[in-house]
Amino acid sequence: MDKKETDVFDVVEGLRSVDPDALEDFERVMTDEVIPEIVQTVEERRMLAAEYRELQLKP
Amino acid sequence: MKAVLIEENYVDKDYRSTYYNFYSKKGLRYRTDCVRLHFFDGTVRFDRKTLRLVSSVDQRLTDHYFGYMVLRPTGIVTIGRTVLSPDVRSGARGRIITANHKVHVLGYKLEVEGFPSMDQHHDIAVCAHVACWSVLRHYSEAYSIYREFLTYDITMMAQEFDPGGLVPSKGLQLSHAERVFQEAGTFPVLIARRKDVRTDASFYRQLLAYVESGFPLFAAMQSKQHAVAIIGYEWRAPLVTTVRGMRYAWDEVESFAVVDDNTLPYLSIPIKGGVPYSAEDVDSFIVALPEKVFYPADAVDRVAPTLFKLRHLVDLPAKDGVVIRYFMTTGSGFRQFVRSRESEFDPKLLETIMSLPFAQFIWIVEFATKSQWAVGQVAARAVIDATASLMDVMPLWLMHGYKKALVFSRRSLDFRSGGRDLQLSDMGHKGYTRMEQNLRSTRAK
Repeated sequence: MDKKETDVFDVVEGLRSVDPDALEDFERVMTDEVIPEIVQTVEERRMLAAEYRELQLKP
Repeated sequence: MKAVLIEENYVDKDYRSTYYNFYSKKGLRYRTDCVRLHFFDGTVRFDRKTLRLVSSVDQRLTDHYFGYMVLRPTGIVTIGRTVLSPDVRSGARGRIITANHKVHVLGYKLEVEGFPSMDQHHDIAVCAHVACWSVLRHYSEAYSIYREFLTYDITMMAQEFDPGGLVPSKGLQLSHAERVFQEAGTFPVLIARRKDVRTDASFYRQLLAYVESGFPLFAAMQSKQHAVAIIGYEWRAPLVTTVRGMRYAWDEVESFAVVDDNTLPYLSIPIKGGVPYSAEDVDSFIVALPEKVFYPADAVDRVAPTLFKLRHLVDLPAKDGVVIRYFMTTGSGFRQFVRSRESEFDPKLLETIMSLPFAQFIWIVEFATKSQWAVGQVAARAVIDATASLMDVMPLWLMHGYKKALVFSRRSLDFRSGGRDLQLSDMGHKGYTRMEQNLRSTRAK
């Protein structure tokens, strides 16, 4: 028989479920603004890194 | 530092690696051995008759030992492998990445905490090779999973194939340095400064974050065509004036410590306007990361201020005047830190931290008020999964202040139903201790 995996929520007393609606504003900002910005920034850094790879250091 | 022991006929593995593969092939005859200088305080003397090192204070020679410097028989640029304690380097300041280096001399086993450095050879190794060598030698001393690479190994690792005639007279490109770190088994990330903005603050915040995480950086300066290793930093004196808006730890940095093959180690460089260069001359760096770091500093830099959107669930300080600091550590390192200060934490929060199934690497974000920053304290802390995906809407494990904590077990993709909150009891303090585990404070001697 499979043993049930112990979850931190089962171990620590006093942890209460958070109303999912309380996370809604954060989720909206992450989805609409932050994640697209992160993806764009990471892509820009990747392109910049490609340019810098050819940078010549002093012989 | 008051005493120097001169060890003659020293067989230096780094010099030997260049001797066997380069100097021995030249018409000019070079010696095979080196001289090594060992540095002590004034309490240690050498007894020639018995070949003993004698301390007038106690027999713990390591407590009176400040490191060594190898002198190569190359005629020019003769300073070879060197590990010195930052405590005896005039001008070394702040917090510095170090490892414990074991040293054997006259049958004694000594130890020194420092960061490796050497002069470049010019003919077989240039500044970029030396910066790679310094970083990788630190890794092999600090972490058992990394093997040791000698000077000649580094020169060869930079090239896709053996170019013959090892003279790197054509110089080295950043891609070669990246290749060295890849070959060494690390996962290098090259981060470059944006050219389209006057000041790319995010670039420098990331640079500081990686150094604070204990990763020495291979830093390149296009304007100087030069590369160094950035290995530490110094905080500036706390501001007394009122500051508006959010600040970052980067705004509180006075100087960086670098290992530069043109100078003695632990050179302190200011943020701007310094000679021979300053931090603003650094326009790209390579951080040699371990495996399993998927969430980049760019993402943490953007997510950190967004965490204020959770203020209704966790008590964070006011945005105005807050100092945000982020860095990477291991889950076990974080638990160790919390355990060492357990009286600061509500027992339920401590139990949560000890029970959360953290990934091996985590990002820590700390929030401090201006007055807390001045005394090394923080008001709140967030733990972000360093294995999170860029598209992760909720990359958090945990966020806590004094009164409340928000916890995610990250056992399910459905984060909405996976959040828990925890009411914390008053632990009778005005700030948690800032977590500064990865670097060593310089103590001038």
